[in-house]
Amino acid sequence: MFVQGVMMVHVALGVIGIMFAVALFVDVLNVNEGNIERIKKLSLAVAVLIVLAYIIGGYWYVVYYGHDRDIIKAGQWPWAHNYFMEVKEHLFFVMLLLGIYLPIAVYRNAPLMEKEKRCLVLGICALIVVLGFFMEGAGGIIGKGVTMGLMGR
Amino acid sequence: MENSPMDKYAAGFGMSLAVTSVLNAIILVIKEKNDAVMSAMKAALGHHWTTHGVIVIIVFVVLGFVFSAMRLETKFDSHRMLKYIIWGVIICGVITAGFFMSNLKLAGAMKY
Repeated sequence: MFVQGVMMVHVALGVIGIMFAVALFVDVLNVNEGNIERIKKLSLAVAVLIVLAYIIGGYWYVVYYGHDRDIIKAGQWPWAHNYFMEVKEHLFFVMLLLGIYLPIAVYRNAPLMEKEKRCLVLGICALIVVLGFFMEGAGGIIGKGVTMGLMGR
Repeated sequence: MENSPMDKYAAGFGMSLAVTSVLNAIILVIKEKNDAVMSAMKAALGHHWTTHGVIVIIVFVVLGFVFSAMRLETKFDSHRMLKYIIWGVIICGVITAGFFMSNLKLAGAMKY
């Protein structure tokens, strides 16, 4: 149960991080004096959520994933690990860096009232959302890979 | 209204993000192609992925401060910085996804 709990926390943090990035994107599109503070808090929240998703997901991957990997590779969907997990685990580093950079872009690259500075934050948010969707989709395929492996036994 | 210049840390860490993203993909290819490197990364912190992550984070931080000291904000604006970041992420994505492409045997799915 603990192992599943760790995995679910990893997924939940990732999903909430993506949702916050979408919220931040919309807030930056409509930036004004009234939502600057919320924009700053959202950028920090996205960074914290992605870093926590990385740490918790990384812990699960390093400590517990080996067993699932063996099941996937012996099953009907070996590419769920050989492709999707391999790509996911390495692209996650980019998402982590984007998440860490986001509050730097928001706090240091003021004022967001200027179009160019706003575009930088919007672009970072968009990249986080796109990569986040890939992470979630790949995670689903990897989970299904385990199911396929167990069904074949 | 004319845009004000970028902050030096926003410029420095933005450039670091672009460069480190590409470097991330290069480290991936090197460790997957070279058993000695893979073994060394496993031995360093117990798992190659952990070592890979620590290297990426350290490089990002160090390059961030180095680029910040180079005053890139005098050469780049936010728009150009975003272009570099997007290209860095695209190059990393293409190299990573392309490198493992041979593992993607969708024919296996047809059995189901």
